[in-house]
Amino acid sequence: MLSVVNARKQFGNVTAVDGVSFVAQDGAITGLLGPNGAGKTTTLRMLYAVMKPDSGSICVDDVDAVAAPQDAQGRLGVLPDGFGLYPRLTAREHLDYFGALQGIDGARLARRTEELLDLLDMRAIADRRTGGFSHGERTKVALARALVHDPQNVLLDEPTNGLDVMSTRAVRAIVRRLRDEGRCVLFSSHVMQEVSALCDWIVVIASGRVVAQGTPGELRQQTGFENLEDAFVALAGLDPGERQ
Amino acid sequence: MTALRTARQTLIICRKELKDSLRDRRALWSILFSVVIGPVLIGFMMNKLADRQREAEDVRIPIVGMNRAPTLVNWLNQQSGVRVVEGPSDAEKAVRDQRESVVVIVPEDFAERFRASRPAQLQVISDGSRNDMRPSVQRVQFLLQQYAAEISSLRLIMRGVSPAAVRPLAIEQIEVSTAQQRAAQILTFIPMFIMVAGFVGGMQIATDSTAGERERGSLEPLLVNPAPRVAFATGKWMAATLAAVASVCLTTVLCAQLTRLLRLEDMGIRLEIGPEHVAPILLSVGPMCLFTAALQGAVATLARSFKEAQTYMGVLILAPMLPGVISSLYPLGNSPWMYGIPMLGPYILLTDVLGGRFPAPAAFLASAGTCLLASVILIRITTGLFKSEHIVFGR
Repeated sequence: MLSVVNARKQFGNVTAVDGVSFVAQDGAITGLLGPNGAGKTTTLRMLYAVMKPDSGSICVDDVDAVAAPQDAQGRLGVLPDGFGLYPRLTAREHLDYFGALQGIDGARLARRTEELLDLLDMRAIADRRTGGFSHGERTKVALARALVHDPQNVLLDEPTNGLDVMSTRAVRAIVRRLRDEGRCVLFSSHVMQEVSALCDWIVVIASGRVVAQGTPGELRQQTGFENLEDAFVALAGLDPGERQ
Repeated sequence: MTALRTARQTLIICRKELKDSLRDRRALWSILFSVVIGPVLIGFMMNKLADRQREAEDVRIPIVGMNRAPTLVNWLNQQSGVRVVEGPSDAEKAVRDQRESVVVIVPEDFAERFRASRPAQLQVISDGSRNDMRPSVQRVQFLLQQYAAEISSLRLIMRGVSPAAVRPLAIEQIEVSTAQQRAAQILTFIPMFIMVAGFVGGMQIATDSTAGERERGSLEPLLVNPAPRVAFATGKWMAATLAAVASVCLTTVLCAQLTRLLRLEDMGIRLEIGPEHVAPILLSVGPMCLFTAALQGAVATLARSFKEAQTYMGVLILAPMLPGVISSLYPLGNSPWMYGIPMLGPYILLTDVLGGRFPAPAAFLASAGTCLLASVILIRITTGLFKSEHIVFGR
């Protein structure tokens, strides 16, 4: 479970996150929906404790991510914006490295690696260096790396960005599977269809604020739009063509 | 418990950085090249010097028409290091084609003129444009003049004149710059090469694992792992230090092989790097590697991009060269305080060790102590930089 209470983060004069609050439950997929620059990535970065909020509190399960960032990080699997793979290491070596840093030892790590290679259908690429990987293959490696320590909470920052249809479907299937295993999945995206198709709970964020949250049905009701995209545009206070 | 886990994580990071950098073939070759080029260049220069000296001493004189001047040939053969051989029929072409460095031709009327006490002609064929042959040509000319002087003395004595009367000047040449000295000068570069090797060896990991890691975008996912920032800074520093030490070992072995191959004792130079030198050399330069790796890590983390980090490295590389350059301009001496300066201490220790003097343990301790202290401070700075959102997420 992830909870953010009134988190604020400022960079110079720009307030990136301006009092964001929401809760992402276990066994549910929570979507963080918003246009580019809305503060999604900053919110996630505060959640996975590489940024400290200026004020507000952030908890992972019952751990305060601000006071005990490493304890929080141990409970998190993170797919950050831009995967940041090592081109000279193989897919398997990525899992070895991050697994070891998470404190998983030999036999357990080997078993978990095999599980993930099957789950993500990446046996064929397991022992190749990631330098020449396609976007889809890189996504798989980054995802496997995020899941290597079997975390209860999974944060995915725009995981389907730039993926082809088949890879997108594969990622969605895995996200659903993670939910069905009882994990808490927080998923950020600026793509409406994606969020409406996948998420149990949607947090709409614009200009650093939560402008609405609820189930997809509730959001449609709340705005009076049948189409979630129209609902989103209305909620975010965007006029199509003016921004983006 | 936490400390143990941090130590484990540090080692994991160190191991990964080493593995990663060993696979960067291009960078590895460029390190190898810059580490090897110095000693190889020196070896080449030394070899040239040694060859020339040997050549000048042991001279082979091809003579065309040996039978026309048997006394001269006999006399030459009696001189030390001289071997007379039958000259080629196409003497000028042989010299021009560089088959021979010098050829002496005895004309047909040599014996006749010699007997009649008229100047008997001898032709010395050489190529003045070839610097490398000059010592042997000079030696041949000198030998012939010496022979002529002996004959003229004999002729004067036969006629009752003192040979001294026709020698108004007695010129003695004293050459100050001997080949040995020139060789010894070149060898003063060896400590500098070893130090530069230590610097260059750690540079790749220090920059690639910090500025490079950030530029690739892999720093953020790495920092999501539950490890304290000091583990990242220390692990990367350890990897860079190990690479630097490996590079020092490589250069030392190379220089050792070189001094053996060149047979420096032939040139009267006592410089031998044997297995017993390895430990003192590592004790001298090892602490410097700790320091340079920490310095490189801190500077590269501070740099805005990988390219900027490399630019800074290009400036920092002057640091290991500085003591060598300064000492070649004027003698540094060795006051005790010098051992406590991070770059200077290792340099002085190294020159002492290579010069066959074993410095006092206190000197090693002073040098290692300050290097270690400076490294700890720099690692703390790097750790602080890794904690800064400003640094981690770029500007």
